[in-house]
Amino acid sequence: MTTRESGRVKEGEKRRVLDDAARKRRARKAVEALEQDNFHEDPHADLVMSKKVPKFSDSNEKPTRKKKAKSAEYYKMRFRKTFAQLVEEDASYRPEPPNYMSAQVGPSKFPDRHFCAVCGFLSNYTCISCGARYCSVRCLGTHLDTRCLKWTA
Amino acid sequence: MSETFCYILDNGAYTAKVGFSNAEPKVVPNCIMKAKSERRRPFIGSQIDECRDASGLYYILPFQKGFLTNWDTQKTIWDFIFSKECCPVNLSETPLIVTEPIFNFSSVQEAMTEIFFEEYECQTLLRINATDLAEYQYRKTHNNECTVVVDSGYSFTYIVPYIKGKKYREGIRRIDVGGKVLTNHMKEILSYRQLNVMEESYVINQAKEDSCFVSQDFMADMEIAKRKGPTNTIVKDYVLPDYTTIRRGFLRDVVRPDEDLEQQTLRLNNERFCIPELLFRPSDVGIPQMGIPEAIINSIEACPEENMESLLENIILYGGNTMFRGFRDRTYNEVRALALDHYDVNVTLGENPVTYAWEGGKMMFRDPEFYSFCLTREEYEEEGRPLAFERFDI
Ligand SMILES: [Zn+2]
Ligand SMILES: [Zn+2]
Repeated sequence: MTTRESGRVKEGEKRRVLDDAARKRRARKAVEALEQDNFHEDPHADLVMSKKVPKFSDSNEKPTRKKKAKSAEYYKMRFRKTFAQLVEEDASYRPEPPNYMSAQVGPSKFPDRHFCAVCGFLSNYTCISCGARYCSVRCLGTHLDTRCLKWTA
Repeated sequence: MSETFCYILDNGAYTAKVGFSNAEPKVVPNCIMKAKSERRRPFIGSQIDECRDASGLYYILPFQKGFLTNWDTQKTIWDFIFSKECCPVNLSETPLIVTEPIFNFSSVQEAMTEIFFEEYECQTLLRINATDLAEYQYRKTHNNECTVVVDSGYSFTYIVPYIKGKKYREGIRRIDVGGKVLTNHMKEILSYRQLNVMEESYVINQAKEDSCFVSQDFMADMEIAKRKGPTNTIVKDYVLPDYTTIRRGFLRDVVRPDEDLEQQTLRLNNERFCIPELLFRPSDVGIPQMGIPEAIINSIEACPEENMESLLENIILYGGNTMFRGFRDRTYNEVRALALDHYDVNVTLGENPVTYAWEGGKMMFRDPEFYSFCLTREEYEEEGRPLAFERFDI
Protein backbone atom coordinates (compact mmCIF):
# COMPACT_ATOMS: atom_id res chain seq x y z
CA MET A 1 0.00 0.00 0.00
CA THR A 2 2.79 2.44 0.91
CA THR A 3 4.55 2.17 -2.43
CA ARG A 4 1.31 2.77 -4.27
CA GLU A 5 0.58 5.78 -2.16
CA SER A 6 3.97 7.44 -2.53
CA GLY A 7 3.83 6.81 -6.23
CA ARG A 8 0.60 8.66 -6.57
CA VAL A 9 0.80 11.42 -4.04
CA LYS A 10 2.97 14.39 -4.84
CA GLU A 11 5.97 15.05 -2.60
CA GLY A 12 4.47 18.03 -0.87
CA GLU A 13 1.31 16.19 0.04
CA LYS A 14 3.06 13.07 1.19
CA ARG A 15 2.84 13.57 4.92
CA ARG A 16 -0.25 15.72 4.87
CA VAL A 17 -2.93 14.26 7.02
CA LEU A 18 -6.32 15.78 7.70
CA ASP A 19 -6.78 16.49 11.38
CA ASP A 20 -9.81 15.43 13.32
CA ALA A 21 -11.57 18.76 13.02
CA ALA A 22 -11.21 18.80 9.24
CA ARG A 23 -12.50 15.22 9.00
CA LYS A 24 -15.53 16.12 11.09
CA ARG A 25 -16.12 19.19 8.96
CA ARG A 26 -16.07 17.04 5.83
CA ALA A 27 -18.48 14.56 7.33
CA ARG A 28 -20.83 17.34 8.41
CA LYS A 29 -20.74 18.93 4.97
CA ALA A 30 -21.56 15.61 3.36
CA VAL A 31 -24.65 15.21 5.58
CA GLU A 32 -25.68 18.83 4.98
CA ALA A 33 -25.42 18.30 1.22
CA LEU A 34 -28.15 15.66 1.52
CA GLU A 35 -30.53 18.47 2.55
CA GLN A 36 -30.01 20.70 -0.46
CA ASP A 37 -32.81 21.42 -2.93
CA ASN A 38 -30.56 22.35 -5.85
CA PHE A 39 -26.89 22.02 -6.74
CA HIS A 40 -26.96 24.62 -9.47
CA GLU A 41 -27.97 28.22 -9.86
CA ASP A 42 -31.41 29.37 -10.88
CA PRO A 43 -31.31 28.99 -14.69
CA HIS A 44 -33.52 32.07 -15.06
CA ALA A 45 -31.56 34.19 -12.60
CA ASP A 46 -30.45 36.55 -15.34
CA LEU A 47 -33.99 37.10 -16.58
CA VAL A 48 -35.78 40.07 -15.11
CA MET A 49 -39.24 38.70 -15.81
CA SER A 50 -38.67 35.47 -13.96
CA LYS A 51 -38.19 37.27 -10.69
CA LYS A 52 -41.93 37.50 -10.55
CA VAL A 53 -43.79 34.30 -10.96
CA PRO A 54 -47.02 34.86 -12.89
CA LYS A 55 -49.92 35.76 -10.68
CA PHE A 56 -53.35 34.27 -10.70
CA SER A 57 -54.96 37.37 -9.31
CA ASP A 58 -56.71 37.88 -12.63
CA SER A 59 -60.14 38.71 -11.26
CA ASN A 60 -62.23 36.85 -13.85
CA GLU A 61 -60.38 33.63 -12.94
CA LYS A 62 -62.00 33.62 -9.54
CA PRO A 63 -65.48 35.03 -9.82
CA THR A 64 -66.37 33.93 -6.29
CA ARG A 65 -63.71 35.97 -4.55
CA LYS A 66 -65.19 39.25 -3.41
CA LYS A 67 -62.19 41.13 -2.14
CA LYS A 68 -58.96 41.74 -3.92
CA ALA A 69 -56.45 38.97 -3.32
CA LYS A 70 -53.21 39.89 -1.64
CA SER A 71 -50.02 39.23 -3.51
CA ALA A 72 -47.65 36.36 -2.82
CA GLU A 73 -45.06 38.98 -1.95
CA TYR A 74 -47.33 40.28 0.84
CA TYR A 75 -47.39 36.89 2.52
CA LYS A 76 -43.67 36.50 2.10
CA MET A 77 -43.19 39.68 4.15
CA ARG A 78 -46.07 39.01 6.51
CA PHE A 79 -44.83 35.57 7.64
CA ARG A 80 -41.13 36.10 7.19
CA LYS A 81 -39.27 33.71 9.49
CA THR A 82 -36.32 31.47 8.80
CA PHE A 83 -36.22 27.84 9.82
CA ALA A 84 -33.63 28.66 12.50
CA GLN A 85 -35.88 31.40 13.93
CA LEU A 86 -38.82 29.01 14.01
CA VAL A 87 -36.83 26.37 15.89
CA GLU A 88 -35.65 28.96 18.39
CA GLU A 89 -39.16 30.31 18.85
CA ASP A 90 -40.52 26.81 19.37
CA ALA A 91 -37.93 26.16 22.09
CA SER A 92 -39.41 29.00 24.13
CA TYR A 93 -43.04 28.34 23.19
CA ARG A 94 -42.91 24.59 23.84
CA PRO A 95 -39.91 24.27 26.16
CA GLU A 96 -40.97 20.97 27.71
CA PRO A 97 -40.77 17.80 25.65
CA PRO A 98 -42.45 16.36 23.69
CA ASN A 99 -41.64 18.87 20.95
CA TYR A 100 -39.91 19.12 17.60
CA MET A 101 -36.43 18.75 19.06
CA SER A 102 -37.24 15.93 21.45
CA ALA A 103 -38.99 13.88 18.77
CA GLN A 104 -35.75 13.31 16.89
CA VAL A 105 -34.88 9.67 17.28
CA GLY A 106 -31.65 8.67 19.04
CA PRO A 107 -28.69 6.70 17.71
CA SER A 108 -29.05 3.06 16.71
CA LYS A 109 -27.87 0.31 19.01
CA PHE A 110 -26.50 -1.53 15.99
CA PRO A 111 -22.83 -0.97 15.14
CA ASP A 112 -22.02 1.34 12.21
CA ARG A 113 -21.24 -0.31 8.89
CA HIS A 114 -18.49 0.97 6.65
CA PHE A 115 -18.61 1.26 2.90
CA CYS A 116 -15.95 1.92 0.32
CA ALA A 117 -16.10 5.58 -0.65
CA VAL A 118 -15.42 4.60 -4.25
CA CYS A 119 -17.47 1.52 -5.13
CA GLY A 120 -19.95 1.30 -2.26
CA PHE A 121 -19.16 -2.26 -1.24
CA LEU A 122 -18.21 -3.08 2.35
CA SER A 123 -14.82 -1.75 3.34
CA ASN A 124 -12.20 -2.91 5.79
CA TYR A 125 -9.61 -0.18 5.41
CA THR A 126 -9.29 3.49 6.27
CA CYS A 127 -7.28 6.02 4.27
CA ILE A 128 -4.43 7.27 6.45
CA SER A 129 -4.56 10.78 5.03
CA CYS A 130 -8.26 11.62 5.24
CA GLY A 131 -10.06 8.81 7.03
CA ALA A 132 -12.22 7.82 4.05
CA ARG A 133 -12.99 4.11 3.75
CA TYR A 134 -11.86 1.89 0.89
CA CYS A 135 -12.08 -1.78 0.03
CA SER A 136 -9.15 -2.57 -2.24
CA VAL A 137 -5.88 -1.26 -3.67
CA ARG A 138 -7.74 -0.37 -6.82
CA CYS A 139 -10.35 1.73 -5.03
CA LEU A 140 -7.66 3.37 -2.88
CA GLY A 141 -5.92 4.41 -6.09
CA THR A 142 -9.10 5.98 -7.44
CA HIS A 143 -9.73 7.66 -4.12
CA LEU A 144 -6.24 9.21 -4.03
CA ASP A 145 -6.52 10.35 -7.63
CA THR A 146 -9.94 11.90 -7.31
CA ARG A 147 -10.82 12.92 -3.77
CA CYS A 148 -8.72 12.37 -0.65
CA LEU A 149 -6.80 15.64 -0.25
CA LYS A 150 -7.83 17.00 -3.63
CA TRP A 151 -10.66 19.04 -2.28
CA THR A 152 -10.53 20.78 1.05
CA ALA A 153 -13.68 21.15 3.02
CA MET B 1 -74.68 24.17 7.02
CA SER B 2 -73.79 20.54 6.39
CA GLU B 3 -72.35 20.18 2.91
CA THR B 4 -72.41 16.99 0.91
CA PHE B 5 -68.73 17.17 0.14
CA CYS B 6 -65.61 18.91 1.36
CA TYR B 7 -62.25 19.86 -0.13
CA ILE B 8 -59.18 18.02 1.12
CA LEU B 9 -55.64 19.38 0.74
CA ASP B 10 -52.93 17.08 2.07
CA ASN B 11 -50.19 19.66 1.73
CA GLY B 12 -46.96 17.66 1.60
CA ALA B 13 -43.46 19.11 1.30
CA TYR B 14 -43.01 17.62 -2.17
CA THR B 15 -46.49 16.85 -3.47
CA ALA B 16 -49.90 18.16 -2.52
CA LYS B 17 -52.75 15.64 -2.64
CA VAL B 18 -55.87 17.58 -3.46
CA GLY B 19 -59.51 17.13 -4.41
CA PHE B 20 -63.15 16.99 -3.38
CA SER B 21 -64.26 14.24 -1.02
CA ASN B 22 -66.70 12.91 -3.63
CA ALA B 23 -63.98 12.51 -6.30
CA GLU B 24 -60.49 11.16 -6.79
CA PRO B 25 -57.48 13.13 -5.48
CA LYS B 26 -54.91 14.75 -7.73
CA VAL B 27 -51.23 14.55 -6.87
CA VAL B 28 -49.68 17.94 -7.63
CA PRO B 29 -45.98 18.80 -7.22
CA ASN B 30 -45.92 21.32 -4.38
CA CYS B 31 -43.19 23.37 -5.98
CA ILE B 32 -42.30 25.76 -8.76
CA MET B 33 -39.80 24.45 -11.28
CA LYS B 34 -37.65 26.23 -13.78
CA ALA B 35 -36.30 24.51 -16.86
CA LYS B 36 -33.16 25.31 -18.81
CA SER B 37 -34.99 24.56 -22.02
CA GLU B 38 -37.92 26.86 -21.31
CA ARG B 39 -36.84 30.35 -20.42
CA ARG B 40 -40.13 32.09 -20.92
CA ARG B 41 -41.85 30.89 -17.79
CA PRO B 42 -41.61 28.83 -14.63
CA PHE B 43 -43.80 25.75 -14.14
CA ILE B 44 -46.16 25.81 -11.18
CA GLY B 45 -47.31 22.51 -9.70
CA SER B 46 -48.59 20.11 -12.36
CA GLN B 47 -47.76 22.57 -15.17
CA ILE B 48 -44.48 20.63 -15.26
CA ASP B 49 -46.34 18.11 -17.44
CA GLU B 50 -46.18 20.74 -20.19
CA CYS B 51 -42.40 20.95 -19.99
CA ARG B 52 -40.82 19.31 -23.03
CA ASP B 53 -37.34 18.90 -21.59
CA ALA B 54 -37.11 18.29 -17.86
CA SER B 55 -33.32 18.08 -17.67
CA GLY B 56 -31.59 20.34 -15.19
CA LEU B 57 -34.84 21.40 -13.47
CA TYR B 58 -34.44 23.95 -10.74
CA TYR B 59 -36.75 23.61 -7.74
CA ILE B 60 -38.36 26.31 -5.65
CA LEU B 61 -40.03 24.66 -2.68
CA PRO B 62 -42.33 26.23 -0.08
CA PHE B 63 -41.07 23.82 2.58
CA GLN B 64 -37.72 23.77 4.29
CA LYS B 65 -36.82 20.75 6.44
CA GLY B 66 -40.46 19.73 6.41
CA PHE B 67 -41.94 23.08 7.48
CA LEU B 68 -43.67 25.77 5.49
CA THR B 69 -41.30 28.73 5.38
CA ASN B 70 -41.58 30.23 1.88
CA TRP B 71 -45.06 31.71 1.87
CA ASP B 72 -44.81 33.53 -1.45
CA THR B 73 -44.00 30.24 -3.16
CA GLN B 74 -46.77 28.41 -1.30
CA LYS B 75 -49.33 31.09 -2.07
CA THR B 76 -48.46 30.99 -5.77
CA ILE B 77 -48.90 27.21 -5.81
CA TRP B 78 -52.16 27.32 -3.81
CA ASP B 79 -53.52 29.97 -6.17
CA PHE B 80 -52.72 27.56 -8.98
CA ILE B 81 -54.27 24.57 -7.17
CA PHE B 82 -57.50 26.46 -6.37
CA SER B 83 -57.76 27.83 -9.91
CA LYS B 84 -59.54 26.43 -12.95
CA GLU B 85 -56.25 25.10 -14.19
CA CYS B 86 -56.07 22.52 -11.42
CA CYS B 87 -58.88 21.84 -8.95
CA PRO B 88 -61.13 24.91 -8.61
CA VAL B 89 -62.96 25.45 -5.35
CA ASN B 90 -64.93 28.11 -3.57
CA LEU B 91 -63.84 27.80 0.04
CA SER B 92 -66.56 30.12 1.28
CA GLU B 93 -69.00 27.34 0.41
CA THR B 94 -66.98 24.16 0.77
CA PRO B 95 -65.44 22.98 4.07
CA LEU B 96 -61.65 22.56 3.89
CA ILE B 97 -59.44 19.92 5.49
CA VAL B 98 -55.77 20.92 5.25
CA THR B 99 -52.82 18.99 6.67
CA GLU B 100 -49.79 20.26 8.55
CA PRO B 101 -46.64 18.55 9.83
CA ILE B 102 -46.42 17.06 13.31
CA PHE B 103 -45.22 19.64 15.87
CA ASN B 104 -45.80 22.41 13.36
CA PHE B 105 -44.35 25.67 14.68
CA SER B 106 -46.89 27.99 16.29
CA SER B 107 -46.25 30.93 13.97
CA VAL B 108 -46.69 28.69 10.93
CA GLN B 109 -49.97 27.48 12.45
CA GLU B 110 -51.11 31.06 12.95
CA ALA B 111 -50.21 31.90 9.38
CA MET B 112 -52.20 28.91 8.12
CA THR B 113 -55.31 30.00 10.03
CA GLU B 114 -54.97 33.57 8.84
CA ILE B 115 -54.35 32.86 5.17
CA PHE B 116 -57.27 30.44 4.85
CA PHE B 117 -59.82 32.61 6.64
CA GLU B 118 -58.65 35.97 5.36
CA GLU B 119 -57.11 35.35 1.95
CA TYR B 120 -59.11 32.34 0.76
CA GLU B 121 -62.26 33.34 2.70
CA CYS B 122 -62.76 29.90 4.09
CA GLN B 123 -66.09 29.21 5.83
CA THR B 124 -65.25 25.97 7.65
CA LEU B 125 -61.67 24.90 8.34
CA LEU B 126 -60.08 21.77 9.77
CA ARG B 127 -56.32 21.93 10.18
CA ILE B 128 -54.94 18.53 11.07
CA ASN B 129 -51.85 16.29 10.91
CA ALA B 130 -51.77 13.94 7.94
CA THR B 131 -51.02 11.08 10.36
CA ASP B 132 -54.35 11.81 12.13
CA LEU B 133 -56.21 11.26 8.87
CA ALA B 134 -54.25 8.06 8.20
CA GLU B 135 -54.97 6.78 11.69
CA TYR B 136 -58.65 7.59 11.29
CA GLN B 137 -58.90 5.54 8.12
CA TYR B 138 -57.00 2.63 9.64
CA ARG B 139 -59.08 2.61 12.84
CA LYS B 140 -62.38 2.84 10.99
CA THR B 141 -61.48 -0.12 8.79
CA HIS B 142 -59.83 -2.28 11.49
CA ASN B 143 -61.79 -1.41 14.64
CA ASN B 144 -58.59 -1.48 16.65
CA GLU B 145 -57.70 0.31 19.86
CA CYS B 146 -54.15 1.55 19.19
CA THR B 147 -52.20 2.30 16.01
CA VAL B 148 -48.62 3.12 15.06
CA VAL B 149 -48.61 5.38 12.00
CA VAL B 150 -45.39 5.48 9.96
CA ASP B 151 -45.32 8.36 7.47
CA SER B 152 -42.19 8.24 5.31
CA GLY B 153 -42.22 11.34 3.16
CA TYR B 154 -39.93 13.76 1.38
CA SER B 155 -38.35 15.57 4.34
CA PHE B 156 -38.39 12.94 7.04
CA THR B 157 -40.04 9.86 8.46
CA TYR B 158 -42.42 10.21 11.38
CA ILE B 159 -43.55 7.45 13.71
CA VAL B 160 -46.66 8.43 15.62
CA PRO B 161 -48.40 6.15 18.15
CA TYR B 162 -52.13 6.59 18.77
CA ILE B 163 -54.03 5.32 21.77
CA LYS B 164 -57.82 5.17 21.36
CA GLY B 165 -57.67 7.64 18.49
CA LYS B 166 -55.44 10.16 20.25
CA LYS B 167 -51.80 10.95 19.48
CA TYR B 168 -49.52 9.84 22.27
CA ARG B 169 -47.01 12.68 22.00
CA GLU B 170 -44.35 11.19 24.25
CA GLY B 171 -43.99 8.35 21.77
CA ILE B 172 -43.60 10.42 18.60
CA ARG B 173 -40.29 9.81 16.80
CA ARG B 174 -38.74 11.56 13.81
CA ILE B 175 -36.02 10.14 11.60
CA ASP B 176 -34.34 12.80 9.48
CA VAL B 177 -34.32 10.62 6.39
CA GLY B 178 -36.90 10.98 3.63
CA GLY B 179 -37.11 10.90 -0.13
CA LYS B 180 -34.95 13.99 -0.55
CA VAL B 181 -31.99 12.47 1.30
CA LEU B 182 -32.27 9.31 -0.79
CA THR B 183 -32.36 11.18 -4.11
CA ASN B 184 -29.49 13.46 -3.10
CA HIS B 185 -27.37 10.53 -1.96
CA MET B 186 -28.08 8.72 -5.21
CA LYS B 187 -27.07 11.79 -7.21
CA GLU B 188 -23.87 12.10 -5.21
CA ILE B 189 -22.66 8.54 -5.66
CA LEU B 190 -23.67 8.30 -9.33
CA SER B 191 -21.97 11.61 -10.07
CA TYR B 192 -18.75 10.38 -8.48
CA ARG B 193 -18.82 6.90 -9.96
CA GLN B 194 -20.21 7.48 -13.46
CA LEU B 195 -21.75 10.65 -14.78
CA ASN B 196 -22.35 14.10 -13.33
CA VAL B 197 -26.04 14.17 -12.48
CA MET B 198 -25.87 16.68 -9.63
CA GLU B 199 -28.26 19.02 -11.47
CA GLU B 200 -30.73 16.27 -12.30
CA SER B 201 -32.81 15.88 -9.13
CA TYR B 202 -35.98 15.37 -11.15
CA VAL B 203 -34.53 12.64 -13.36
CA ILE B 204 -32.64 10.85 -10.58
CA ASN B 205 -35.72 10.94 -8.38
CA GLN B 206 -37.51 9.04 -11.15
CA ALA B 207 -34.54 6.67 -11.53
CA LYS B 208 -34.78 6.00 -7.80
CA GLU B 209 -38.51 5.26 -8.02
CA ASP B 210 -38.05 3.04 -11.07
CA SER B 211 -34.97 1.09 -9.93
CA CYS B 212 -34.56 0.83 -6.18
CA PHE B 213 -35.82 -1.85 -3.82
CA VAL B 214 -35.46 -2.64 -0.15
CA SER B 215 -33.17 -5.59 0.45
CA GLN B 216 -34.44 -8.45 2.60
CA ASP B 217 -30.88 -9.64 3.28
CA PHE B 218 -28.41 -6.83 2.84
CA MET B 219 -25.18 -8.82 3.13
CA ALA B 220 -26.43 -11.50 0.72
CA ASP B 221 -27.46 -8.88 -1.85
CA MET B 222 -24.03 -7.25 -1.51
CA GLU B 223 -22.47 -10.61 -2.44
CA ILE B 224 -24.77 -11.02 -5.44
CA ALA B 225 -23.96 -7.49 -6.62
CA LYS B 226 -20.23 -8.30 -6.49
CA ARG B 227 -20.58 -11.14 -8.98
CA LYS B 228 -19.58 -10.76 -12.60
CA GLY B 229 -21.78 -12.14 -15.34
CA PRO B 230 -25.31 -13.54 -15.35
CA THR B 231 -25.31 -14.69 -11.72
CA ASN B 232 -25.46 -11.04 -10.75
CA THR B 233 -29.22 -10.67 -10.86
CA ILE B 234 -29.14 -7.16 -9.44
CA VAL B 235 -27.12 -5.16 -11.95
CA LYS B 236 -29.23 -3.29 -14.54
CA ASP B 237 -28.94 -0.29 -16.80
CA TYR B 238 -31.17 2.71 -16.37
CA VAL B 239 -31.87 4.33 -19.72
CA LEU B 240 -31.97 8.09 -19.22
CA PRO B 241 -34.65 10.20 -20.86
CA ASP B 242 -33.49 12.15 -23.92
CA TYR B 243 -36.75 14.13 -24.24
CA THR B 244 -37.04 13.33 -27.92
CA THR B 245 -38.02 9.66 -27.98
CA ILE B 246 -37.79 8.86 -24.24
CA ARG B 247 -39.74 11.06 -21.81
CA ARG B 248 -39.21 8.93 -18.76
CA GLY B 249 -36.23 6.71 -18.10
CA PHE B 250 -36.56 2.98 -17.55
CA LEU B 251 -34.65 0.02 -16.23
CA ARG B 252 -33.40 -2.66 -18.59
CA ASP B 253 -31.07 -5.63 -18.59
CA VAL B 254 -27.42 -5.05 -19.28
CA VAL B 255 -26.76 -5.66 -22.97
CA ARG B 256 -23.48 -6.85 -24.49
CA PRO B 257 -21.38 -4.04 -25.97
CA ASP B 258 -22.00 -5.27 -29.53
CA GLU B 259 -25.72 -4.83 -29.11
CA ASP B 260 -25.34 -1.33 -27.75
CA LEU B 261 -28.58 0.51 -28.33
CA GLU B 262 -26.94 3.93 -28.35
CA GLN B 263 -28.89 5.08 -25.37
CA GLN B 264 -27.38 7.02 -22.51
CA THR B 265 -27.49 4.78 -19.48
CA LEU B 266 -26.51 4.63 -15.84
CA ARG B 267 -25.24 1.29 -14.57
CA LEU B 268 -27.09 0.54 -11.34
CA ASN B 269 -25.79 -2.24 -9.14
CA ASN B 270 -25.45 -1.99 -5.35
CA GLU B 271 -27.06 1.46 -5.65
CA ARG B 272 -30.38 -0.27 -6.29
CA PHE B 273 -30.69 -1.37 -2.67
CA CYS B 274 -28.08 0.74 -0.83
CA ILE B 275 -30.17 3.89 -1.40
CA PRO B 276 -33.44 2.78 0.31
CA GLU B 277 -31.26 1.06 2.93
CA LEU B 278 -30.74 4.52 4.46
CA LEU B 279 -34.31 4.38 5.76
CA PHE B 280 -33.33 1.30 7.73
CA ARG B 281 -29.77 2.34 8.60
CA PRO B 282 -29.33 6.15 8.49
CA SER B 283 -25.85 5.67 9.96
CA ASP B 284 -24.73 4.20 6.60
CA VAL B 285 -24.51 7.80 5.40
CA GLY B 286 -23.37 9.33 8.69
CA ILE B 287 -26.75 10.30 10.17
CA PRO B 288 -26.53 9.07 13.78
CA GLN B 289 -30.13 7.86 14.08
CA MET B 290 -32.10 4.63 14.33
CA GLY B 291 -33.71 3.13 11.28
CA ILE B 292 -37.47 2.76 10.90
CA PRO B 293 -38.03 -0.65 12.58
CA GLU B 294 -35.83 0.19 15.56
CA ALA B 295 -37.57 3.57 15.90
CA ILE B 296 -41.00 1.85 15.82
CA ILE B 297 -39.97 -0.28 18.80
CA ASN B 298 -38.46 2.76 20.50
CA SER B 299 -41.72 4.65 20.00
CA ILE B 300 -43.87 1.81 21.33
CA GLU B 301 -41.62 1.41 24.37
CA ALA B 302 -42.33 5.04 25.26
CA CYS B 303 -46.08 4.26 25.42
CA PRO B 304 -47.97 2.75 28.39
CA GLU B 305 -47.18 -0.94 28.65
CA GLU B 306 -50.83 -1.99 28.55
CA ASN B 307 -51.06 -0.62 24.99
CA MET B 308 -48.00 -2.41 23.65
CA GLU B 309 -49.89 -5.43 22.36
CA SER B 310 -52.39 -3.40 20.37
CA LEU B 311 -49.70 -1.05 19.03
CA LEU B 312 -47.57 -3.91 17.70
CA GLU B 313 -50.61 -5.46 16.05
CA ASN B 314 -51.55 -2.29 14.18
CA ILE B 315 -48.61 -0.71 12.36
CA ILE B 316 -49.62 1.17 9.22
CA LEU B 317 -47.13 2.44 6.64
CA TYR B 318 -47.73 5.15 4.06
CA GLY B 319 -45.87 7.88 2.14
CA GLY B 320 -43.85 7.70 -1.06
CA ASN B 321 -40.87 5.78 0.37
CA THR B 322 -43.07 2.92 1.51
CA MET B 323 -43.64 2.09 -2.16
CA PHE B 324 -40.17 0.62 -2.64
CA ARG B 325 -40.53 -3.07 -3.30
CA GLY B 326 -39.78 -4.98 -0.12
CA PHE B 327 -40.37 -2.04 2.23
CA ARG B 328 -43.22 -3.66 4.15
CA ASP B 329 -41.62 -7.08 4.41
CA ARG B 330 -38.32 -5.69 5.69
CA THR B 331 -40.14 -3.51 8.23
CA TYR B 332 -42.23 -6.45 9.39
CA ASN B 333 -39.26 -8.82 9.68
CA GLU B 334 -37.15 -6.38 11.67
CA VAL B 335 -39.96 -5.32 14.01
CA ARG B 336 -40.81 -8.99 14.48
CA ALA B 337 -37.18 -9.76 15.40
CA LEU B 338 -36.96 -6.83 17.83
CA ALA B 339 -40.31 -7.38 19.58
CA LEU B 340 -40.83 -9.89 22.37
CA ASP B 341 -41.83 -13.32 21.04
CA HIS B 342 -45.21 -13.55 22.77
CA TYR B 343 -46.56 -10.48 20.96
CA ASP B 344 -48.13 -10.61 17.53
CA VAL B 345 -46.84 -8.14 14.99
CA ASN B 346 -48.90 -6.79 12.09
CA VAL B 347 -47.55 -4.36 9.53
CA THR B 348 -49.85 -3.04 6.81
CA LEU B 349 -48.87 -1.05 3.74
CA GLY B 350 -51.56 1.52 3.02
CA GLU B 351 -53.43 0.93 -0.19
CA ASN B 352 -52.25 3.82 -2.40
CA PRO B 353 -49.52 4.92 0.02
CA VAL B 354 -49.27 8.44 -1.45
CA THR B 355 -52.96 9.29 -0.97
CA TYR B 356 -53.61 7.20 2.14
CA ALA B 357 -53.93 10.24 4.43
CA TRP B 358 -56.06 12.07 1.86
CA GLU B 359 -58.46 9.10 1.78
CA GLY B 360 -58.60 9.29 5.57
CA GLY B 361 -59.82 12.87 5.21
CA LYS B 362 -62.58 11.63 2.97
CA MET B 363 -63.72 9.21 5.67
CA MET B 364 -63.38 11.78 8.45
CA PHE B 365 -65.70 14.15 6.59
CA ARG B 366 -68.44 11.52 6.97
CA ASP B 367 -67.94 11.34 10.75
CA PRO B 368 -71.13 12.58 12.48
CA GLU B 369 -68.88 14.72 14.69
CA PHE B 370 -67.00 16.25 11.76
CA TYR B 371 -68.18 19.83 12.23
CA SER B 372 -67.20 19.80 15.89
CA PHE B 373 -63.55 19.29 14.84
CA CYS B 374 -63.69 22.37 12.60
CA LEU B 375 -63.43 26.10 13.12
CA THR B 376 -65.91 28.37 11.37
CA ARG B 377 -65.28 31.80 10.02
CA GLU B 378 -67.64 33.30 12.63
CA GLU B 379 -65.78 31.60 15.48
CA TYR B 380 -62.49 32.81 14.05
CA GLU B 381 -63.74 36.36 13.76
CA GLU B 382 -65.14 36.35 17.30
CA GLU B 383 -62.46 34.53 19.21
CA GLY B 384 -59.53 34.66 16.85
CA ARG B 385 -56.38 32.66 17.01
CA PRO B 386 -56.41 31.32 20.58
CA LEU B 387 -59.43 29.21 19.69
CA ALA B 388 -57.60 27.78 16.68
CA PHE B 389 -54.80 26.59 18.94
CA GLU B 390 -57.31 25.10 21.32
CA ARG B 391 -59.30 23.26 18.71
CA PHE B 392 -56.59 21.87 16.47
CA ASP B 393 -54.27 19.29 17.97
CA ILE B 394 -51.27 19.78 15.69
ZN1 LIG C 1 -14.14 -0.22 -3.31
ZN1 LIG D 1 -7.99 9.77 1.61
